[in-house]
Parts: sequence; structure tokens; C-alpha cells
Amino acid sequence: MARDPSIPPESLEEILAWLHPDREAAGVIYVQLRQDLAKIFMWNHCNDPEGLTDQVFDRVAKKVHQLRETYEGDPRLFFYGVQRNLIKEASKKVKTQVSLEDCDLPTNDPEVEETENMREECLHSCLQKLSPEKRELILNYYAKEKQAKIEHRTEMARQLGTTVETLRVRVYRLRATLEECIERCLNRMAQRK
Amino acid sequence: MKEDAASESTLRQFLLGNVDQEARERLESLFITDSVAREKILAAEQDLIDDYLDGSLTSEEKQSFIQQYADTPVQKRKLRIAASIKDWATAQGEEPAPPPEPARASFWSRVRDILLPKPAIAIPIAATAMVGVIALAIWLNSRMEPRDSQLAMQEEIVQLNVPSNLSKVPAKMPSLELRPGSTRSGDSQDELVNSPDSGIAELRLLWIQEQYPRYTAVVRRVGSNKSVTIADLHAEDDGKSIRFRLPDSWLTRGEYLVELTGITANGAAGVNEEYRFSVRN
Repeated sequence: MARDPSIPPESLEEILAWLHPDREAAGVIYVQLRQDLAKIFMWNHCNDPEGLTDQVFDRVAKKVHQLRETYEGDPRLFFYGVQRNLIKEASKKVKTQVSLEDCDLPTNDPEVEETENMREECLHSCLQKLSPEKRELILNYYAKEKQAKIEHRTEMARQLGTTVETLRVRVYRLRATLEECIERCLNRMAQRK
Repeated sequence: MKEDAASESTLRQFLLGNVDQEARERLESLFITDSVAREKILAAEQDLIDDYLDGSLTSEEKQSFIQQYADTPVQKRKLRIAASIKDWATAQGEEPAPPPEPARASFWSRVRDILLPKPAIAIPIAATAMVGVIALAIWLNSRMEPRDSQLAMQEEIVQLNVPSNLSKVPAKMPSLELRPGSTRSGDSQDELVNSPDSGIAELRLLWIQEQYPRYTAVVRRVGSNKSVTIADLHAEDDGKSIRFRLPDSWLTRGEYLVELTGITANGAAGVNEEYRFSVRN
């Protein structure tokens, strides 16, 4: 999609400077903000979360010069406000009922089988990039099911000298890193085909 | 979370799209601006996905989940990736446990073993007792030495990081700036090269979360039990980074993990970030 010519070229730098005076920290906040906005669009059933996130930044870019002088408060809340307007504008797709079988692990479709092999290969490749301690943490965290799972994780947290909540967040970060690695690996494999 | 912590059930209903508009906007605002809330919500989302994959959701929850998380090809792919990780973890858990390592003989049983008379050799009881006492002294000394050196190292690290010493900048001191692991790509690795002339190395950890009155850093060498804790650290004047120093004798070649935790005024642990680096001597 061609860039909107009404957006000043220096607006990205202005947005970064508005998010944080340190450019490196601003870059980190920018990346996270994009991810968060895309996630919120997804939660609100919006088509094309990435495209809509671009629209949020486009709209903010047109006003950022004045905003830096006049806006008070966390700049991220302004982005969220723009997002809220976009969500209202976007039409909600009527969801068709999805067959539960459609979401189960695939069985006979050859294309999906191939992808399952690729997934396994990428999983093992990405697991190798984790330290043994982190692999162990994930293994232990998912060791039990249902009620035993809760008691097991409470005990795990106690042994690690932390809270269940901190343990949960730590495992979330590990899983997120692993999932991102697997996605990148699958994308690379798909490009090679 | 800055506001009253959303209960687990509220977060679950939010993630399933079953809260009113006011609650939705409140939680979404927190998600965007409060890093602790953000991670709590994302961890709750991961738990929800796990419960779906386990078949633990009610039929109504399952329907809501599918509409939220299994609607597009991209979402379904993410679910399959999550399922493959869980399946791997479950499969590993079902493998027969490795045989337990033989229990390490207790101190008293080893003394007993030293003192037991050999069947073929008659040793006077006094000589046996003398051997036992000498063995005991040697064993105790070997246990004390690593602990003493560890205490000495910890004390040295504390001294290196008192504010008056941190303000001095030794010549040729290697320094490494690290970004938190949550913001880095998985493939890059920061490397510290120790200087033979310096004796110490400095790490500067970029901090983009909310500010705390003090911080604690735990540095671990990957693949070993070696770790050190540096407490009572403070952010630089700009609040964007936290510095600390380590003796290069402790930083042997290898990979390291740093966990930096903000400590609130009442001593509770707040947000933490992880950093990774390697050392090349």
C-alpha cells in the first residue's frame, strides 16, 4: 500500500521522540505498542490487525507535532484512543460457527501433514536454542493436569523461591519466545519451498 | 496492576469477549500502559489457550474461544504451534523417569566407612581412630574452602557496587550495555570481552519499565550452579539503566543470564526483566 503523502516524512522520528526521549528505549516501546495494538484489534474481531495498526500510526503521525506540545499524559493512551475510534468505524464481521473438528489437530490433509512435520522440526530446532534450565522449566510447568497442575505449580514456585504469578509470567515469556521462534522458522521453510 | 487487580475470572471473561464495554476499555487501557497488567493478561491468555487444548473449557467457553482465537488461518496456526509445544512437554513428562542417582553417602556414613576395620587386615583401634580423625579434618576443610571463597567473592562484589565505588571509572574497564530479553530477537547475543588489565567488568542494563527505588540483579552462569546476587542497585539519574560491576575472575568464558527485579519501597518484588550475554576472554 502506498504511503499517505499527507503524512510528514519526519513523523516517525517525532513519534519516537514523543514515546521516549531516549531513541533506543523509544524503539522498544514502539515495537511493543504495535504488538499491543494488533492484539487489541484481534480481541475486537477486527480484520487485518496489522493493517489497522498502521492506520493508527498514520493518524497519530499527522498530529504528532502538535500533540508533543499539547498532550498531557501517557502518549500510549492517545494511540489507544485513536484505536478505539478505528474499532468503532471498522465493520464487525459476522462470525460463522467454526466446526470444532476444524480446530483439532489435522489428520489426513497432505498439506497439513507436511506442515505438521515442519512444525516438529522447527520446535526441536527452537528448543535447542533454549538453555537446559529453561527447557526444564517448561517441562516441569506442564508436568501435571487439572487440579494436580495447580498444586504442582504452587510447589514449583515455592521451590524456586517465587510466587505462582511470577512463575506464570516467566513461563509465558518463555513460551512466547519459543512460539515466535517456531513461527519465524516455519516462515523461512515456507519461503524455501 | 495499578488498579484493583482484575480477578482471574474477569480476565478470562475479558479474553473470551464476555465483558461490558466499560470493563473492556479499562482492561485494554491497562494492557497498553501497565507492564505488569500486560504480562498478567498475556499469561492468562496462554492459560486459556492451554485449557482449550486440554479440553477443559465448558461448551459456552469453547464457542467463545473459537470465535476469538480460532477464526483466521493465522490464529489457527498459532494454536497449532501452541499445541505442538504442549504435546512435546506432555510426551517428555510421560517418558519413564531416569533411575534415581545413588544417594550420596552422608557425612556420618563416610566416617563410618573410613573407621570400619578391613576384614583381612587387623588394624589397631587407636590407629583406625587416628585415620578417621585425619580424614574428617581433610573432608571438613574441603567443604569449607569453596564456601569461604564464595563468601569472599560475594563480599568483593558488594564492595564493587557501593555507590562511591561505582562512581569511579577505572581505565580499560570493559563495559557492556544489554537490552531486556523481552525486546530482543531470539537470535542475537551480546558479548563481553574481558580486559586483562582491568580486573572488573561493568554491565549496564537498559530498563524501560516503571521506576523502582532499588533493584536486585541475579547473575547466573548458564549450565552451572554458579550465581551471584547484587542487591540495592539504583537506576542512573535518567532512570533508563542500571549499572553494576563484577570481578572478571568470576566472569569465566561462557553464557550468562541476568534477572533484574525492581524492589518496591516495602521490599516486595516488582517487575523483572531478563538479559543474556556471553563472555569471551
